[in-house]
Amino acid sequence: MNYQRMVEHMNAVQPVSRRGMLRDAACGFGMVALAGLFDRNAATAADIEFDAANPLAVRPPHFEPKAKRVIFLFMHGGPSSVDTFEHKPYLVKNDGKPLPIKRPLAFDDEEPGPLMKPLWDFKPGGESGILVSDLFPHVRERVDDLCFVHSMVGEGVDHGAALLQTFTGSSTFTRPSLGSWVVYGLGTENQNLPGYVTIKPALSHGGAKNWSSAFLPGSFQGTPIGHAGLNVSDVQGEPIEYLTNKGLSQEQQRYELDMLRNVNRRHAEMRKFDPRLEARIQSFELAFRMQVQAPEAFEVEKESEATKKLYGLDDPVTSDFGWQCLLARRLSERNVRFVQCTHSYKWDQHSDLFNKHNTNAAEVDKPIAGLLKDLKSRGMLDETLVIWAGEFGRTPVSQGGDGRDHNPYGYTIWMAGAGVKKGFQYGATDDIGYHAAVNRMHVHDFHATLLHILGMNHEKLTYRFSGRDFRLTDVAGLVHKDILT
Amino acid sequence: MSSTSYRSLGLVTGVAWACSLLYVPVLGANADPEAMEYFEKHVRPLLAGKCQACHNAQLKSGNIDFSGVEGFVKARDEAALISAEDPAASRLLAIVNYDSRIKMPPGGKLPAEELEILGSWVRMGAPWPGAEQRDAMIPEGTHGTFSAEQKNYWAFQPVSDPELPEVGTPDWAVKPIDRFVLAKLEEHGLEPANPAPKLTWLRRATFDLTGVPPTTQEAAAFLEDDSPKAYERVVERLLSSPLYGERWGRHWLDVARYADSTGNDEDHRYPYAWKYRDYVIDAFNDDMPYDQFVREQIAGDLLPSDDPDGVNRQGIVATGFLALGPKAIAQQDKTRMLYDVYDEQIEVVSKAMLGLTIACARCHDHKFDPILTKDYYSLAGIFASTRSFREPRAHVSRMLLKPLVPQEEYDRYKAEQDVIKNKQIELDNLADVEIEEHIDSIVERVSDYMLGAREVYEGGAEASAVALKRKLDETQLVAWVSYLEPRDPPRAQLADWHVAMAGRRAEAAEEYEKRFAKTLKEWHHTIRRWRASAIELIKTGTMPPPPKPKFRAGRDRFFFDVYHAKGGPMNFGAEQRNQILKAETVETIATLKVELKDLKGNAIPEPPMANAIEDGDVVEQKVFVRGDYNTEGEPATKVFPAIISGFNQEPVTAGSGRLELADWIASPQNPLTARVMVNRIWQKHFGEGLVRTPSNFGKLGTPPTHPELLDWLAARFVDDGWSVKNMHRRIMLSNAYRMSSERGESAARIDPANQWLSSFNRRRLDVEELRDGMLAIDRSLDYAMGGTLQSGFGTDRENSNSRLSIDPTTSTRRMVYLPLRRANLPTLLNLFDFGDAVTSLGKRPVTNVAPQALFMMNSEFVAKRAANIAEQLLADEVASEADRVREAYLGILTRHPEPAEVDGALSYIGGFGSRFEDRTPQAAWQSYCRVLLASNDFIYVD
Repeated sequence: MNYQRMVEHMNAVQPVSRRGMLRDAACGFGMVALAGLFDRNAATAADIEFDAANPLAVRPPHFEPKAKRVIFLFMHGGPSSVDTFEHKPYLVKNDGKPLPIKRPLAFDDEEPGPLMKPLWDFKPGGESGILVSDLFPHVRERVDDLCFVHSMVGEGVDHGAALLQTFTGSSTFTRPSLGSWVVYGLGTENQNLPGYVTIKPALSHGGAKNWSSAFLPGSFQGTPIGHAGLNVSDVQGEPIEYLTNKGLSQEQQRYELDMLRNVNRRHAEMRKFDPRLEARIQSFELAFRMQVQAPEAFEVEKESEATKKLYGLDDPVTSDFGWQCLLARRLSERNVRFVQCTHSYKWDQHSDLFNKHNTNAAEVDKPIAGLLKDLKSRGMLDETLVIWAGEFGRTPVSQGGDGRDHNPYGYTIWMAGAGVKKGFQYGATDDIGYHAAVNRMHVHDFHATLLHILGMNHEKLTYRFSGRDFRLTDVAGLVHKDILT
Repeated sequence: MSSTSYRSLGLVTGVAWACSLLYVPVLGANADPEAMEYFEKHVRPLLAGKCQACHNAQLKSGNIDFSGVEGFVKARDEAALISAEDPAASRLLAIVNYDSRIKMPPGGKLPAEELEILGSWVRMGAPWPGAEQRDAMIPEGTHGTFSAEQKNYWAFQPVSDPELPEVGTPDWAVKPIDRFVLAKLEEHGLEPANPAPKLTWLRRATFDLTGVPPTTQEAAAFLEDDSPKAYERVVERLLSSPLYGERWGRHWLDVARYADSTGNDEDHRYPYAWKYRDYVIDAFNDDMPYDQFVREQIAGDLLPSDDPDGVNRQGIVATGFLALGPKAIAQQDKTRMLYDVYDEQIEVVSKAMLGLTIACARCHDHKFDPILTKDYYSLAGIFASTRSFREPRAHVSRMLLKPLVPQEEYDRYKAEQDVIKNKQIELDNLADVEIEEHIDSIVERVSDYMLGAREVYEGGAEASAVALKRKLDETQLVAWVSYLEPRDPPRAQLADWHVAMAGRRAEAAEEYEKRFAKTLKEWHHTIRRWRASAIELIKTGTMPPPPKPKFRAGRDRFFFDVYHAKGGPMNFGAEQRNQILKAETVETIATLKVELKDLKGNAIPEPPMANAIEDGDVVEQKVFVRGDYNTEGEPATKVFPAIISGFNQEPVTAGSGRLELADWIASPQNPLTARVMVNRIWQKHFGEGLVRTPSNFGKLGTPPTHPELLDWLAARFVDDGWSVKNMHRRIMLSNAYRMSSERGESAARIDPANQWLSSFNRRRLDVEELRDGMLAIDRSLDYAMGGTLQSGFGTDRENSNSRLSIDPTTSTRRMVYLPLRRANLPTLLNLFDFGDAVTSLGKRPVTNVAPQALFMMNSEFVAKRAANIAEQLLADEVASEADRVREAYLGILTRHPEPAEVDGALSYIGGFGSRFEDRTPQAAWQSYCRVLLASNDFIYVD
């Protein structure tokens, strides 16, 4: 087979998994050379079939999905569940009394303080009448769209471990992140944008490990838009690194790239049986398309005044997270599979809980409610799943009189949109609000359930690395079907 | 519905199956679905509601955990809760029915209907989803023997010294290596490719050994050198270049998962990691014998020193290999953290030096290789007897920093520092005592200040007037005003003050004052007690005083704000303090300050330090059943893996055993050490190793394509005194290494993966070669060696840019010198397959994606390189345009262009000028140079 035919052949047999290729190689010819394209080690074998030349191409889910996309709103630091979304009358009644159970491992090693009542009043919202504290008045208006899980359980008592587990399933090891698994499983519908974008992510507590693809191919890595330490104005200029050329007009660059293609073609013609060379030629064409089309997605300023106001872009208090949420909608609208917004490491109230939680909630409440309303009015909530979560909750006992310590043993997250019940509360912690007691949902379960909503069986979403089939959910994970529509 | 089995597992969830194939806890095929439904509907909620508050994975009250199948099975069997023979007589039922000494739940007997639920369930045999699968698993334990297949596995056989094979065309086989390669080719009906053109070989060899391309002068000189020694001269030149150690040191740093920070939590810095990095680079440049290199990295601190003071500085720095792994130092389960560290050390040693995945045996015998759990814990005992921390059990564990001077010298430095610290405390005390007395004296004015402040911020009165009227200090009053003024959001601790209506204000102020006085009394009591003991300790000099107590804001936020917070009304500034203090005190302080400054100025500077390890208390390690440190099994004495060293070893009893481990690995008798290293060297020259899984010589790895060659190389390696440089000579002067990368059609058909080496493997530059290479070509590369670019240590501010490492596109030092922050590697490294610097990496992946193209097309970095090269080309005013093209080809691609290529280039540059008339010739040449830098011709080495 000559080189040209081989390239055609290569293009014709997609998608191609490595196993598939090895099969081809056994009866066909030469295709195993392709292995070099994404060869990680000889034992690598992807259980999801993907085309090495176009790893982000859409792949069919295992079964009919309920949601196509995810927007993950991450509250870094650990918001207190008993002060926000899980009402605990027992705490109100027993404020100041000693903790009646043995305290589990906490982050700070001092003696536990007494029980501390929620510092905010809870009021019913919507028709469902679900109780939400005064920290989230805007979100409270949208409770009829929300599905609360009050019984989350994680393993990390410190931020590092808890973030890692929330985003990779493992609290200690370097593993592919949630978004990477999703894009690995499903691909993405817009080839001109990354499949997994994380807006202003935290550099701390694992940093990029929380959005890395680890041993999955690099194309499934999250693309960071700035980081938590930057202002929106710093990020807007060049949201994705290397996306724009500052020295050439588009026409000039096209001229340059045509020359590059000629040089590369000539080079390739003299070197047979190496499909990597053609693949790299193609990568420049794809890159050119990306840079022409991607920047438009980031033009948040083109939104109407009313929309900007809805997200709180007109108020310095809410403008940062508002911008994140609005950008998330724009990316989601353009079919970016997995988008994450991070409210930077602010929620860690070991002390001064009242003041700081007030400030934090004020920064995100309106943008989040705005996002939910906007998604709904555009019909996007039928296809998009929104997740709100911290890495853990906080203790029902006080720390130092005016704060709360970390509590991964029972905490609340909520979801909204495609695939989950509306105006629904699931699970509960014990009376005190310390341990998940009813319908415990471990982080692995949450991941399994999330993949299920996206049409994937978490036990079948595997990747072979170092001789083992890895999963997001390790050897655990249970889909909690009761929260699903 | 609820989850199955995670929290209970702790270690087990993360690790237990890390090496096994998947074990999936699903309902068993023969599990009775009705029983399961009954369990899920009735039993699980009951256990969750009534038992799990205590019997969960964290608390494990009475060592019982009902939160998942793992815990349940354990409780069922180990605590004998359920009787399989006679379920109705199960202990669990006696306990809940209050028929036994233990009565549960303790708060009162369960209601009858719940007892009935438990009763029915237990009588069914206590079915639990997933339990059957657990029961069916292979029982854990140590198997005393190995199968013949395991014993005969190739990698555990002694290294042989095979004869050179006979070949049909001996002319080609100039070197022994060629004989082995050719024999395989002939066996498979293949022929070696033609020799590569001279410049192709030069580019290959230069990138291979130094990581940068040849200069145009080096290319010209090599072309001119027709002597038979030309190739050898190049190899010698390259091996003696310091760039060699930087290149090959980096390969080892991959294997050693080197980085400058812990990775987890706050990504804490390893302040002296760079010394280990420099040690590795020097070791390669000095051609340190590999066995010594291995010994030093495991036990350098224990090896004798050539230095008269007895400190083995190099050896201590070398143990950075063990000290610099990823760590979760904020993990609160400290025992788990420590065993995770030992695990990581076992993993890096076994993968890097032995090509084995021993860490897989943490929870069970290795599923594929004859490595026993006991072998694992024997090694764990060695690392458990070794210290990586100075304070492992601190809230955030503190890593070990080891002085590179004799201990006495370090102690002298420490003692002097203590004197300085004490002096500082004495100095602070002098002032603090008087300030505290002053505050005691004005505490009854708190309410006056509050009321006065209100007149100012609410009534609009002048502060000076109010101060005069109420006899208050004006500066303090202003501070009170700014603190008490309402703000949004309001301060909770001031709520009572702000809501107090006019008639109740004085009363409110009194209440604040009363509370303030109370806290003040307590606080001053605390601080005075501390001071008394500090002064006593300083006087007696027995031990350093304890740290000054800190006031926790949460204790009394109002007090904190006023007394401690920055700008707080009683947190006086320097000027205020001087007014408060007695004149003679101010004078004494001034004198003391001079003395202190003097002391500091003449102090011994901090001795050089290293991130290293040292021997700790000897730990008699036991096997942890299923990796759980709460479940100790049989003792695991300090011996080496039985498959290699047998079952009758004399265990190490004195010291940590690291020295013995080092000797065991660095021995010519160890069947793996030399093989693994020569394979790594081979791989970095040929793109693939003879064993294509360089860090896994076990069953899941691939067997050697040329086993005889591998052994022959390993034997020579030892003969050569473990010289790495000699191994390069043996390989690079062979005809095998000189082959062209052109593939023939039959070779592509017969041997698509080129395992028989009928041609050279074309390879893509790695990220260091790509980046350093471009900097070398445009003459921007800074050849300075060693040292640190990120000084200081500790924790960087949240979201600080220094967490982002140093961007390799803005620095011009060689990439190997840029600090690596594990949590946030620079974009460029992620883009071009650097790996994660977390696990030992024997072979980097090679991906080919559009974002890499974007970097070549759009980055300022490549634009700058192209601009510099263009400028240099244009600077030669005598040269013709065609000359410049030829110069560009030679400089960037190390070859001469074909005439058609020169024509193409000229028409491109001309076309650029005529199409884009506003652009300069420099812009056209820059664009052209970028084309060459972005080309496949550049990024692939033939």
